[in-house]
Amino acid sequence: MGFLGPWFLAGLAAVGLPIWLHLLRKHRSTPRPFSSLMFFERRTQSSVKHRRLQYILLFALRTALLILLALAFANPYLRTSTPAGAASGGLLVLAIDQSFSMREGDRLERAKREALARLEAGRRTQVIAFSNEAHLLNQPGADLAALRGAIESIQPTDSRSSYAELVRALRAIAGASREPLDVHLFSDLQKTSLPPAFADLKMPSGARLTLHPAADSTVPNWTVESVIAPRQVYGRASVRVAATVAGFNTPAAKRTVSLWVNGREVEKREVTLAENGRATVEFEGVEPAHGANRCEVRIDSADTLPADDRRYVAIERTEPLPVLLVHSGASRDVLYFRAALEASANSAFRLEEVSAERSGGVAPSKFAFVVLSDLAFVEPSFEDALKKYVRGGGALWVALGTVSASRRTVPLLDGATVEGRYFARDAERFQTVSYADAGHPSIRRANGWQGVRFYHVVRVDAPGLKTIARLSDETPVLQEAAYGEGRILIFGSTFDGLACDFPLRPSFVPFIEQTARYLAGLSDAPADFLVDSYLQVRTAREQGVAVEVVDPEGKRPLSLKEAATVESIPLEREGFYEVNRSNGRRELVAVNADRGESDLTVIAPETLAAWQSSEPAGTQSAGVGAAETRKNLWPYVLALALLAAVAESLVGNRYLNGKSAGRNEFRKEAAA
Amino acid sequence: MQRFLDPAVLASISGLDLVAKTIVQGFIAGLHRSPEHGFSQEFAEYRAYTPGDDLRYVDWNAFARTERCYLKRYRGETNTQLTVLLDASASMGFGSHRVNKIDYARYLAASLLYLANRQRDAAGLIVFDDEVRNCIAPSSRHGQLSRLLHGIEGAEPRARTDYAKPFVHLQNLLHRRGLVAVISDFYAPPDDVIRTMEPLALRGNELMLFHVLDPEEIQPTLREPGLLVDMETDDSMEVSPEYARTEYRHKIDAHIEALRDKARRSGMDYFLLRTNQPLDQALREYLTVREGKY
Repeated sequence: MGFLGPWFLAGLAAVGLPIWLHLLRKHRSTPRPFSSLMFFERRTQSSVKHRRLQYILLFALRTALLILLALAFANPYLRTSTPAGAASGGLLVLAIDQSFSMREGDRLERAKREALARLEAGRRTQVIAFSNEAHLLNQPGADLAALRGAIESIQPTDSRSSYAELVRALRAIAGASREPLDVHLFSDLQKTSLPPAFADLKMPSGARLTLHPAADSTVPNWTVESVIAPRQVYGRASVRVAATVAGFNTPAAKRTVSLWVNGREVEKREVTLAENGRATVEFEGVEPAHGANRCEVRIDSADTLPADDRRYVAIERTEPLPVLLVHSGASRDVLYFRAALEASANSAFRLEEVSAERSGGVAPSKFAFVVLSDLAFVEPSFEDALKKYVRGGGALWVALGTVSASRRTVPLLDGATVEGRYFARDAERFQTVSYADAGHPSIRRANGWQGVRFYHVVRVDAPGLKTIARLSDETPVLQEAAYGEGRILIFGSTFDGLACDFPLRPSFVPFIEQTARYLAGLSDAPADFLVDSYLQVRTAREQGVAVEVVDPEGKRPLSLKEAATVESIPLEREGFYEVNRSNGRRELVAVNADRGESDLTVIAPETLAAWQSSEPAGTQSAGVGAAETRKNLWPYVLALALLAAVAESLVGNRYLNGKSAGRNEFRKEAAA
Repeated sequence: MQRFLDPAVLASISGLDLVAKTIVQGFIAGLHRSPEHGFSQEFAEYRAYTPGDDLRYVDWNAFARTERCYLKRYRGETNTQLTVLLDASASMGFGSHRVNKIDYARYLAASLLYLANRQRDAAGLIVFDDEVRNCIAPSSRHGQLSRLLHGIEGAEPRARTDYAKPFVHLQNLLHRRGLVAVISDFYAPPDDVIRTMEPLALRGNELMLFHVLDPEEIQPTLREPGLLVDMETDDSMEVSPEYARTEYRHKIDAHIEALRDKARRSGMDYFLLRTNQPLDQALREYLTVREGKY
C-alpha cells in the first residue's frame, strides 16, 4: 500500500481539533436555577466522566471523519502483483524497438522472441515497430499467424529510437480503439531515447505499461563519433580529415583508427582513449581523386555493436569555378576582388578579368557569375548576352561608383534611377551601415559590416529591388533583384577602396567569398548527413525534371512520379546515396546513424518507475515478466468518510436537540 | 366550574381578589350546597347552658321538651380565627411550568382567606422568608380581606427560609386559639420544621402544613449533566441525570414522608400540593379540618 499524495497526510493533525473539543476543552455548562440543592450531592467527577463517555461516539465519528478525509486526499493505493500473462482485458500492444542500437548482440532477436511469447490466442493484439517513428504492422486482431508474421518481419533500422513517438502512437491507438491498452515494450531502454520533456512520456488513460528490457546490462561501446572533412575540394588542394572517436561505458584502451578512401585504406593511426573518453585523430594531406570519393573512418572497437565502428564521408574533387570580372580599366578593384575571392586555400573560384571595351565577345554563360565593376558603359552585345544569361538562371553582381553614377543607368535594370551621393563633402564625412540583413548569405559571416566607412554611395531606385544593407541615412548600399530565373546583386560602392574602405576591412574577405558562393549556387551542405534527415534534391524552380536517387543498397527508392516531383528525400540508411540532379550534376551523399544510439546506457530504474506511473488511470505495471496492478483506494475511503459524516450529523443532531431542550427548559424557568 | 380551579387557568386571571373569588365560588358550587345555608346559618350543635351564656341563644323549644337549657350554636358563629403563614423565600420562585410555587401559594392563601372572610372568620397573614416581611393581624372587620389580598400580592420571593422568626412572631401575635395555615416548600429538615411549630400546636392551635412543590422538584427530568444553582444560596453543583432520577427522588420522597409523619405525630395536618394540581383539594382539606375541630 502506498500514497500518491503522502503530503496530504499532514491533514491528520486536524484530529487534534476533536480531541481538544471533547477531551481537553473545559466543559462549560449552562447554569440552571433550582429551588434547593439540599437533596443533591456534589458528584462533579462522576458527572464529567459520564459526559465524556456519552460523547465518545461523537468524538470517534469526528476523528474518523478527519482521518478518512486526510487519507482520501493522500490518494492511497494497493499494489498487487499478478503473474505474467495473466493480464486483464483490453487491447494487447506489443511495441518492439527496431532502432540502430538494437543491432547490438541479439537484442532485436531477443525482443522478438519475448514478443512472440506474449501472444495470446483469441486476444486482440496490435504490433508496433518503432524507432524515430512508430509503424503499425497490423490492424488490431487476434490472428496469431498474422501477428507472428508481423513480429518476425521486423528488421533493425539505422534510425534512432524515440519513446516520445511511441507514446504519441499509443495515444492515437487508445483514442481510436476506445479500450484500455495493455502495452508491452520490448526495447533496450536507451537513456538517449528519452525525450527532453518527461510529459511526452505520459501514457494514455487506462493504459498499462510493462517493460521487457532487451539488454541485461549496459555494455561498453566504441564508435567514430564525428568526422570533419570538406565536402568539396577544388583544384589540387589536399584534404585534412579530423575524426573524433568516443567510448561509452568503456575502460581506458588503445584503439586503431583508419581512413579509407574508395575502399582502400589510406592511413592508420593508433589512439589512446581514456575511460569513457574521446580522442581526435587527424589525417593530413589526403588527396582524393577527381570526382566523388567514398571515404570512411573506421575504428577497431572489438565491441558488440560493430555497426557504429565506421563513419562515412563524401568528398568531391572538382576544378575551381570561373568568375568573370568586367572592369573599366582600373586595376585596384581587380586586385582587391581577386585577393578576397582566392584567399581561401580551398577556394572554389578562379577569377578571369576583362575590360569593358573587350567584353563584346565574351560569353557570360561560361562563368559561375559575372561582376561589373563600376563601368562607364557596357558593350551592347555583351549586355544582351548578360540579359540572356541572367534570365536563364545566371547571376550578375554590379558594383556602382562615381563612373556609374555619371552614366545614371544600371545594366539590365531599365528605368532605374541612379543618384550619386558624396558623404565626404557633407558634415558627416562618411556613413556607416545601420542595417544589414543578417540572414542573407552575403552578410551572415561579414560581421554586419561593422566600422566600414562609405564616402560615396550610388543610390538606385527601381521596382523589385530588395534592400539587404543600408546606411545611417537610409541609403541602400546592397540590394538584390530577381531577373528571370537569375538574380542581380547591386553594391552601391566599389571594390577599389576609394568610395569606401571596405576592401581594407577584415569582413571584406568573407563578404566576397560568401557572396560568390551564393551567386554561384554552391551549397553549404555538410560532408555527411544523419539518418532520418532530409536531402533536398531539387528547388521549387526545377519542378518537372526527374532526379535519380540510388540508396546505399543500390536500390532506387523513388518511383518515376516521385522522381519528377519530390523536392527532398528521407535518408533512412547508413552509407552513400547517389543523386543525379536535374541540372546533370552527380552528387554523392554520405549518411551516418545518429551516434546517440551508440551510447547504450540504460534508463535509470526510478525514471522507468516514474514512466510506468505516468498514466492517470491508476493501474500500472512494473518489472520484467510480472505485472503489478495498482488499485486506487480513495473512492472507498471517501465513501467511508461520507458515511462517517452522515453518522456524525445524526449523532451530533441528537446531542444538539438534547442541549436545546435543556436550554428551552432554562428559558422557561427564566421567563417564569 | 372545575376548570376554574386549574392553576394554569387561574394564572390568566388578573387580580388576586378575582382569583380567590373564582376559586371559592367554584369550589362551593362543586359541593352542591347553598352557601348561605351551608355555612353561616347552618345548625352546628347544642351546648349545655352555663352561667354567663347569652340567653338569646337558648333553644326554648328544647327547654320545653326536656326542661333543660341548651344553647343552639350555628356554624357561622364558631368565631374561628385563620392565620396564613406564607413562605416568600427565593426557592418559592421556582417553577417548571406556567405557575410557579409562589403564584400557587398566593392563590391558595388568597382562597383560604377569602373563604374565611366569607364565613366571617377573623383572618390574618404573615409573609416571611428569613424575616417577617409582612404581618396583618387576624380580624373580621370590614376591609380586612382587601388588606390581606394586598399583602399577598406584595409577597415576592427573595432571601432564604427561616421558620423560627415568623413562628416566634406568631406566638406573640396570637392571643386566642385558631387555625394556622403554613404554606411553604419546607426546604428544611423536618425535625426543625416541626420543632419550630410544635409550641403553637401545644397552645391549642390547629396547624395545617401546605407543602407546595413543583412537579419538577418531585421528579426532576434532567437529560444531561448540568450545573444547578440554588435559588436561595446561589451555590452551584454539577448534577448528573442518573442522580436526579434515582437518589434525589428517594431523598425528596423520604423528606416528604418524614414531614408528613412528624406533622401528624405532632397533631398537625399535612397536605402535599403540586403546583399543577387544582386548588380545591386544599380548600376541601381546610374545611374538613375546620369542621372537625370547631
